[in-house]
Amino acid sequence: MTAHTAARHPAARDIEARDIAAPGVRIRDLTVVYKTPSGELPAVRGVDLTLAPGTITGVVGESGSGKSTLALSLLNAVQPPGRIAAGTVEIDGLGDVLTLRGEDLRRARGSQVGYVFQAAQNSLNPLKTIGKQLLDLGRSHDVADLRALVRDAKDLLARMGMDGARVLDSYQHELSGGMRQRVGIMLALALNAKVVVLDEPTTALDMITQATILRIIREVHEERGLTTLVITHDVGAVAEVADSLAVMYGGRVVEHGPVTEVLGDAHHPYTQGLIRAIPRLTGDLSLARALPGRPPTLGTLPTQGCVFRERCERRLEVCETDEPMAVNRDGRTVACHATDRHLTLVKRKEFV
Amino acid sequence: MITGTGITKVFRQRGGLLGGREVRALRGVDFAIAKGGSVSFIGESGSGKTTLGRIVAGLETCDSGEIVIDGVPMSSLSHRRRQPYFRRVQLIHQDPYSALNPTRTIHQALEAPLRLRAGQTGRSRSWIDDRAEELLAMVGIDPGYVLPRYPHQLSGGMRQRVVIARALTMDPEVLVADEAVSMIDVSLRLGILALLRDLRERLGVGVLFITHDIATARYIGGDGELYVLYRGQVVERGATEKIIADPVHPYTQSLLSATPVLHGLERPGAERVVPREMQREGLPDGGCLFARRCPFATERCESEMPVLGRYGGEGTPAEQEHACFHPQRRAVIPVGVGE
Repeated sequence: MTAHTAARHPAARDIEARDIAAPGVRIRDLTVVYKTPSGELPAVRGVDLTLAPGTITGVVGESGSGKSTLALSLLNAVQPPGRIAAGTVEIDGLGDVLTLRGEDLRRARGSQVGYVFQAAQNSLNPLKTIGKQLLDLGRSHDVADLRALVRDAKDLLARMGMDGARVLDSYQHELSGGMRQRVGIMLALALNAKVVVLDEPTTALDMITQATILRIIREVHEERGLTTLVITHDVGAVAEVADSLAVMYGGRVVEHGPVTEVLGDAHHPYTQGLIRAIPRLTGDLSLARALPGRPPTLGTLPTQGCVFRERCERRLEVCETDEPMAVNRDGRTVACHATDRHLTLVKRKEFV
Repeated sequence: MITGTGITKVFRQRGGLLGGREVRALRGVDFAIAKGGSVSFIGESGSGKTTLGRIVAGLETCDSGEIVIDGVPMSSLSHRRRQPYFRRVQLIHQDPYSALNPTRTIHQALEAPLRLRAGQTGRSRSWIDDRAEELLAMVGIDPGYVLPRYPHQLSGGMRQRVVIARALTMDPEVLVADEAVSMIDVSLRLGILALLRDLRERLGVGVLFITHDIATARYIGGDGELYVLYRGQVVERGATEKIIADPVHPYTQSLLSATPVLHGLERPGAERVVPREMQREGLPDGGCLFARRCPFATERCESEMPVLGRYGGEGTPAEQEHACFHPQRRAVIPVGVGE
């Protein structure tokens, strides 16, 4: 819990001392398109996102917001009919991932960027024991000392509260959901990757298991000096674990900032709506309500103006025609016409 | 009105040299769901909550105990004679993606049960289409848009509403909602929960709500009752709001402590409870079922099994039962930053 609390104040943390090896990640102007019968449509459009070294960034969005596509771009692993159309993804010590090809790319995956896939049970091979899959991973990356690899894996599993030897001898069907999720984390970290992406790490897990997995993610992140990206649709899950929070809608990052600030004082109407929609243990029931409308799909995204305007309660005329620019102020980024107006006192008088 | 008394269920696994292994899914559960009332069962996977829902819906039989629907004990009836009773209980599945036949339009999905219903109640054919539209409007979706479409053309939230509409075709007295919102985007969950609350008020349908997320149980509507289920035993029971505010069983407290804290809006409770180990198979059956994981377990807990009752005496809230020798109030739920 102490580590957890300390991480809430990135400024106060001694990043130099602990996270020497943690690389920074800079995503710039990233656009990913999918080929559809009605032409190529953007699932991710013009996204700028910086993962500060040694931090956990949470990306939150509804289904179809482009969050998983964004995460796959970190591995340069967007599959056809998808295609990375523009932008760069720079990782310290690796360069622009999007320019890597063939063998270089294969080696980077796993050894530099670890990935824990959504639904860990579907990413494990049902025909091989966990240990065998670990050895396959080691061999495919030319690990010289496989014994050390297994030893490290056992340590890591023990670290996460499991009997390492037993787990390595197990098939995936012999493990519970929470155990598979931890195995996924172990495989992502086995080759000592310093950038780790977790896609929906706690979806379909029980509350207590979810809390445990989130604590483990936090602790392993701290101990190994990682730069971590957590993708989820659940604001609550990410609030527990992340330092900074990026909110995605319709392929754009609409708000980004320190997690306590974004949750405590959300600027974007979408973020405000998301927070209001979370079932909570405390607070006035009558104030909570679901977001109106439904998440856009590739086909229903407006081609001009603000992508959120149809579900927005603060829609202005300009939202119909102009896409709001992401404005950065005091370490927080917001892309919204209405927020811009409200922040300017002079403008606010016009509304009163 | 549906009541259950002493419901038990044991699953026997085959295989292994030493014969089968037994899993006690339910160990004598009592409950009552009134007309228009709501009862929530909370527990982790393996707590037996899904089995209980299936027994209430008539999809599974219990080994001992009795389900009574409208005063009629189900054990007194043949399998065939039970069916009309269990038709009054409709199950809403967790997964709206697999609950609907992908090769049938929504119109077809609703027409089949409505035709059955029309036959039972002596209504004409024209009633069927009217009723389909009425039901879809009732669950908050546009019939004109939805009826001609196939399930894959609808979002998860819409599909779940269609599943609820289909359950309503049978004019049920009780809806059993098993993790009905867990596969829906968080942003849309409250909409489905509000719909269930609305159906309770408007149609007088009782709701048996099964979930692992206590927070969602609050939104099914006031005056609801909460049952906390652990390894087949009810370990705490009372009014939903009361238990959330004032839990005394360490397992309930663990569940509440595990609810994510929205840092920035909330602070964690001062006395959050974390179990000593994770849920796993093969925990011992003697003594309190939670003793092995409980941070407060004593020798008594290892050897003697507490039954649902009131061990706390004065210090514990009235009208709230628990199965714990050492009940104690603890501040486990998040506190609003402004409070």
